[in-house]
Amino acid sequence: MDAIVIENLHKTFRLSHERHGSLKSLALSFSRRTHDYVHALNGISFTVPEGETLAVVGKNGSGKSTLLSTMARVYKPTSGTVTMNGRVSALLALGAGFHTELTGIENVYLNGSILGMSRREIDKCFNQIVSFAELEEFIDAPLRTYSSGMVMRLGFSVAIQVRPDILLVDEVLAVGDEQFQRKCYEKVRELQSEGKTILFVSHDLKAVSDVATRAMWLDSGEIRADGDVQTVLGKYVENTTAGDESPAAPAL
Amino acid sequence: MLKEFAELLRYRELLYNLVVRDLKVRYKNSVLGFFWSLLNPLLQVATITIVFKFILKLGVPNYSAYLLCAFLPWTFFQMSVMDSAMSVLFHGDLVKKTYFPREILPASIVLSNLIHFILALGVFFVYLLVIGTPIQVTWLVLPAIVFIQLLLNMGIAFFVSCLNVFYDDVKYMATVILNLFYFALPIMYMVEHVFHSDRIPHSLAVVLYYLNPLSLLLIAYRKILLPPFNTATIHDIPLDYRYLALAALTSFVIFLAGYAFFNSRKWTFAERV
Repeated sequence: MDAIVIENLHKTFRLSHERHGSLKSLALSFSRRTHDYVHALNGISFTVPEGETLAVVGKNGSGKSTLLSTMARVYKPTSGTVTMNGRVSALLALGAGFHTELTGIENVYLNGSILGMSRREIDKCFNQIVSFAELEEFIDAPLRTYSSGMVMRLGFSVAIQVRPDILLVDEVLAVGDEQFQRKCYEKVRELQSEGKTILFVSHDLKAVSDVATRAMWLDSGEIRADGDVQTVLGKYVENTTAGDESPAAPAL
Repeated sequence: MLKEFAELLRYRELLYNLVVRDLKVRYKNSVLGFFWSLLNPLLQVATITIVFKFILKLGVPNYSAYLLCAFLPWTFFQMSVMDSAMSVLFHGDLVKKTYFPREILPASIVLSNLIHFILALGVFFVYLLVIGTPIQVTWLVLPAIVFIQLLLNMGIAFFVSCLNVFYDDVKYMATVILNLFYFALPIMYMVEHVFHSDRIPHSLAVVLYYLNPLSLLLIAYRKILLPPFNTATIHDIPLDYRYLALAALTSFVIFLAGYAFFNSRKWTFAERV
């Protein structure tokens, strides 16, 4: 069965060079109202079967994050459909809703409920969260006393406990020191072996070839290549390096 | 709209957590902590009593009780509107990065202000018993009136928080209007003063003070919590419950309209904050 079905997805943003911050500027510009549109996604279609790990690569501004955000329901599609079969957990940012004045414990519950977990679910895996983050000694201290690495570790540990069928990850795996990163990737493998569907965006091509079972290359909101990881990465790398040396590229 | 409401119910735990966070964070680093919530109305009682007993010398017994009785729900309204105006912008990082029903943001603000209001009402009741106000059977109506005001506050909060995402002016406009309302509504004076004035036509007074749900609610708090207000020149005008029913209906309509308005725009917030 397909976990994710994307059909002819378009997402267009209205680009305001100067935001209408006031009614006055709105009224003044009413007569000559012109808008620039940014077509972040231009008719994307693909399906992801259950259990697959799909990596999305592409340059900055190619639409990767917009794609993920639309799948995470942060944006409504301009047109087209997004169908997600199963419980979705989106890690677009770690530690959403963390408050520096609250303790680690309070933040775990707050963050968990933002990610859609119930109090009882958090109760059940609370000890795992704390031990995975290696924060046993600090968990009852306010977050403002944490180092930024500790905050990220706590955010990741909560996020990974949401037992989703589909996990969307936006470049948040590169968290903490090397040892913690290894733990993160172990966790991802564990989810893979449980048959979860994972879609992640990364600039770390080594991580992509290590973890992904399929890769997709996005360019200007369109799919340039999709399929076998090594083939797609090969095309992507070839294009980016060729582009840099291309004589046709305008001199800066 | 029912679907939106069902989704909101699914996320009630987040709503609860945000209300608790708001209450906790507010006084986190203060020595007196939660007592600030009680201290504020207590100090208001003290100041108002001194002003009206010893300085203005109105000669009306317990005038400060009548003042506070409208002042506390007014504060509930004012804080709900002002705090919720910034609620979506303030949580821009959440809105940009996570999915949840957006109405939770203004709703949690109004609910945490409701809790402060209930605490203040508790202090107010102690004060009433101390000054020897007779217990009224109409006190039983209080929960209904608080609930009607909750609907009204929510409705306005939905409009203000949504519009403020697109226009910064809304926040400033709200400040100006609230300042005007403070004197235009029967807070510092009694509605009887208005109806006994020979310069304001009766029909105008009815429109301004009875058909406006906020004004009617402020009047209703006084009428049900305190004994009739009578002086040498002013005679008490009892509460007409038909107007209260109308205020309930208007508040409910404002709530629904605000919720619908908010819902129609809430998925564009992530593109604006």
